[in-house]
Amino acid sequence: MSLSKKSTVIVENLRKKQMRESISAGKRLDGRSLDEIRPIEIELDVIKKANGSAWVKLGNTEVVAGVKVETGEPFEGLENSGAMIITAEVLPIASPHVEPGPPDEETIELARVVDRGVRESEMLDLSKLVLVPGKIVYTIFVDCSVINVDGNLLDATSYAVVSALASCKMPVFEIKDDKVIETGKTQEPPITTLPISVTTVRIGDYLISDPTTEEEACMDARLTITTNSKGSIVAMQKGLKGYFSIEDVKSIADKALIKGEEIRGKIKGLINIG
Amino acid sequence: MQEVKRKYVIPGDIVAEGNLRPLVNVFKNGNSIVATRIGITESNNDGAKVIPLSGIYFPRANDIVVGKILDHSSLSWSVDINSCFAAHLPAQDIFGRDFSPAHDDMGRQLSTGDVIVARIAIFDRTRDPILTIQDKDLGKIPTGELIKISPTRVPRLIGKRGSMIQTIEQASSTRITIGQNGIIVVSGKDKEGITLAINAIHIVEVEAHTSNLTQRIRQLLNVPESEIESDDTQTSEAGDTTINQDELNSNNDKEMGMINSNGTK
Amino acid sequence: MVQSRSLIDESGKRTDGRVIDELREVKIKVGIVKNADGSALIEFGKNKIIAAVYGPREVHPKHMALSDRCVVRCRYHMSPFSTDTRKSPAPSRRETEISKVIRESLEPALILEDYPRAAIDVFIEVLQADGGSRCAGISAASVALADAGINMRDMVSACAAGKVDDKIVIDINDTEDKEGGADMPVAYMPNLKKITLLQLDGELNPNEFNTSLDEAVRGCLKVYEIQRSSLMEKYFGDEKEMKE
Repeated sequence: MSLSKKSTVIVENLRKKQMRESISAGKRLDGRSLDEIRPIEIELDVIKKANGSAWVKLGNTEVVAGVKVETGEPFEGLENSGAMIITAEVLPIASPHVEPGPPDEETIELARVVDRGVRESEMLDLSKLVLVPGKIVYTIFVDCSVINVDGNLLDATSYAVVSALASCKMPVFEIKDDKVIETGKTQEPPITTLPISVTTVRIGDYLISDPTTEEEACMDARLTITTNSKGSIVAMQKGLKGYFSIEDVKSIADKALIKGEEIRGKIKGLINIG
Repeated sequence: MQEVKRKYVIPGDIVAEGNLRPLVNVFKNGNSIVATRIGITESNNDGAKVIPLSGIYFPRANDIVVGKILDHSSLSWSVDINSCFAAHLPAQDIFGRDFSPAHDDMGRQLSTGDVIVARIAIFDRTRDPILTIQDKDLGKIPTGELIKISPTRVPRLIGKRGSMIQTIEQASSTRITIGQNGIIVVSGKDKEGITLAINAIHIVEVEAHTSNLTQRIRQLLNVPESEIESDDTQTSEAGDTTINQDELNSNNDKEMGMINSNGTK
Repeated sequence: MVQSRSLIDESGKRTDGRVIDELREVKIKVGIVKNADGSALIEFGKNKIIAAVYGPREVHPKHMALSDRCVVRCRYHMSPFSTDTRKSPAPSRRETEISKVIRESLEPALILEDYPRAAIDVFIEVLQADGGSRCAGISAASVALADAGINMRDMVSACAAGKVDDKIVIDINDTEDKEGGADMPVAYMPNLKKITLLQLDGELNPNEFNTSLDEAVRGCLKVYEIQRSSLMEKYFGDEKEMKE
């Protein structure tokens, strides 16, 4: 059951006033223009025990994603497909407003939206990750730990997952005498595209991309759009209790394609793949 | 005052040996006075203490604080004062003794998100802090830029008898309201002045423990030497309290209130 | 536990190349989580652990508050990718026990009476584990508590010692933990000279126990030096002494 909640972050009216004045003049409180994304920093292979990992900083929002590749049963109805499971946890270290405990509805939404972008874009060609059809397949776990919250967890987590997967070294498993053995060799993951999400929010009459915590506390509605390298949209999610006009949605989608391509290029450069 | 050399310490370090009185942020262990915080030691004939460099704001009666209205019940507003306790501003403080929720509308006076400068009227170990805005120059702050610094740096920002903050105010043509809780509001007509003031404040925050800070701030603000002489005669701006340096240090450190001379378990 | 294979080779090298009285490399970075009141990232060998402190802060729910001192909450948690085999995100019994012993290792150092009706939250997140993660977590938490400006009687430094190939070794790694003869984590307040955590897994005769304890404390003191220099670096930079 989902319940409306009291806001945890209350922004001072002074700051809201400053924010409104600043935004109507085309700049945000941190100096960015309305559609400008914060600087992205990515450090790869930060968790040596994982098969792939990435520590992403999107401004002050920080997320660590780790990839662990094992073997297991395929999902029901997907006999010829490797299994991929993406989870996220907003760690209690990340913000004074997080209570330790099982994931709440926002965290579950976060993991599922990120998963949808990766899965629907077919970033990983899961058909290449089957050992015995219907019985034994590769199981790819991508687990995310949010280290510091300063808005836009959706995009930061998504970039962490994409970077960790694209840069991972997958173990090679083989079937010998009806048993799964780890050969000790590694292989490149079967990557087909880099799905990139861009989140835009509405504050009053203005559309702002990549919001900070403070901006999120003032937003009316949020729209996350994930695109692939071919220029198609593969996932979308609207959040919060406000609304968007049809023009808003179309304009956000256009922007997401353009910005998405820019960020894709940046991430490719940062993780050093073609 | 004879001063023993100042030292940088972390918790557990010895501040001084001998028969000195433990003052604040220290405890006595046998013949030694031991630090309980990261900071700078200060020992002389009056005793030994540590001036802390980190820590959240712990309320103290009579402190001036800048707070944010969170909510209100039928009898008081709850106020975020950037501390470990929410503070309360009784409705009676504004409406008077015969306040009644039936005919007095609290929401019209102060609403969620409003910023106020208030004095902590009552605070002790048994309850949340109670605020008042009845004194001169207290009340709602309608405009200005809000910034936050570590509360441990506030004394340095105010300076001896307010000298540091007044230097910044005058050079940048701004009015700066400082809360002991580390929340500051800078207002002025000129955007450049406000930016200059904010830069100066951030430098004081980062370099509070270093020497020659006053000179460097003067340089940043382009203040000629001769203007800084009149420390003693200047009165502080509204919203600040006039405190001397010694009082500042001891006020800052007294927040714990309990100096356990028997520090060992 | 009885070992099934030798873990120290003929030239005295352990599985990770160290000799028996050598600690793994320790690095500590202070203030790494911007939202927290105090924080530290520790790399202890292959352990990579973040400790973050929020406090003193309000107690939720209010009825859990204590009138004369503050409440300490401590959570030790491992990320799913932190271990050799992927771990489920749900808290395990092991994490619950470790959260408790860690809290009990830090509380003696905290002056809890200074913060009545408030709470201090200590969160330890293991991003990568390789034996000795609870000791590394305690050491990082102590730095985070000092960084948060909580009143402390002393720092808390931790290190494990144990028995491998019938020899007493300092700072047990993951393989030695799983296959070795004994593992004894210890937490120690270096100035007050008091032990605040002591556990044992394995078998030690009285002689071996005494030697292990001495070795573990020696390890704690080495960790203390690194805790101190990491805090000094953040707060005082290169300045070792105050210039007037």
